[in-house]
Amino acid sequence: MRAFATFLGVAAAIFLAFPVQDFLPPLGFAHGARILLVPVIFCYGALVLPFPGAMALAAYTGLLCDLAYSHVVDGRVEIAVGWSIVIFVIFGLFAQGFQPAFRRGQWWLHIPFSMVATSLYLALQFVMISFRREGVAFGEVTAWRILGSGLAAGLLSPLVCTVGWWANVSFGSRPGQGGERFARP
Amino acid sequence: MKQFNIILVIVILLGAVVLSTMGSGTVRDLKSGFLSLVSPFLKTGDAVGRQIGSVGEDLKTLDRLEEENRTLTLENRQLKTTNQLLRDLEAENQKLRQALDYRERSVFQLLPARIIARDSSTWWKSVKINRGFEDGVESDMPVLTESGLVGKTTTVGKNESVVILVTDESCRVAAKVEGTTEKGIASGFRVSDAASLGDIQLAFLSKSANLQPGQKVYSAGVSGGVFPSGILVGEVKSFRVRPLDGQAVLAPAVELDTIEDVFVLVGAK
Repeated sequence: MRAFATFLGVAAAIFLAFPVQDFLPPLGFAHGARILLVPVIFCYGALVLPFPGAMALAAYTGLLCDLAYSHVVDGRVEIAVGWSIVIFVIFGLFAQGFQPAFRRGQWWLHIPFSMVATSLYLALQFVMISFRREGVAFGEVTAWRILGSGLAAGLLSPLVCTVGWWANVSFGSRPGQGGERFARP
Repeated sequence: MKQFNIILVIVILLGAVVLSTMGSGTVRDLKSGFLSLVSPFLKTGDAVGRQIGSVGEDLKTLDRLEEENRTLTLENRQLKTTNQLLRDLEAENQKLRQALDYRERSVFQLLPARIIARDSSTWWKSVKINRGFEDGVESDMPVLTESGLVGKTTTVGKNESVVILVTDESCRVAAKVEGTTEKGIASGFRVSDAASLGDIQLAFLSKSANLQPGQKVYSAGVSGGVFPSGILVGEVKSFRVRPLDGQAVLAPAVELDTIEDVFVLVGAK
């Protein structure tokens, strides 16, 4: 029951993150890299939820990402809906591997995981676009946008962990009562 | 891994494959539904942003004057934009008078819209506006300002739409160069290097085009296309000859990073 409540909370946070991140300004020093909240929140959810919950969250997040980001231009879908689900399922599987350490209190694992997941997601998105549009045009700005968003994700990670821990404690989870899974930063 | 977990992963991956086979119409409908769902949050965010931004102004001016000024400015911009289109119509009309079997040209209606959010997508350049299918907006409708072309609508929700900007690589516009017979395809650059960020490329020009900086580029208005002719796309910044064609780099006619109000060309009256 607690896991289900956590799933609902994380799912709601991911949904709200889509409009919120539209209002966050791009990072000027990183050539317009965007601050992406969705992968950071997903990584937190995948680290705290049991396996079925993490996979369901991956399917949900992937679907919303595709609906939010891909465009239908001239009657053509540039990136097929569904590919992000595959990517988030892979991220979720990796997160489950880190979960025991995360539950033991090594909350900082969320930082590198968020950074890598965010950058990797953007890099794969770029590869998909390059295939679709024929021809790779990788440059300085491309690299900055991929790594800059990853860096922002790493900086946001402690905040997301703190809010997650606070929300769980507020809803009755306590260390020693199963609440240790929600590692405190 | 438990058998249940393996089956779950396989089911989700199969679901992803099934989703990837959806046609563009279904995807458009799903995107439209998602856009309508997040719309209240976008509008709230936009309203909060405007409230914060206008705190200083409210101290200096009366609300009524501000409202009146806003209305007049909007009307002025609408008239300027209409004027720009009419100039082109006039020229076309002169040509048609000389022909016996001329066709009537549609008169377009400009629907004022406001940009409520700039998309957080990294690789696409798009914005969201506060007009949707309830206002008569459909996908693939041109969006412009009095200065020139902004882009075209893609996903249309109930009261909001996504506009893909002219600086995006996937937004292609048939364009002609002022004072020449040169025609080409204008589109944005892919996000790669800082030098071309925010510029437009005009490709498929003849190698002998020899365009000069400052020359204006207008939409050509091809048959069956999205954009009518005569909308300013940008100004030539540079020209170079490539192995197969000539390519010009254009500065967009509109300051796309700062615009707040636009018009959607919603079709014939």
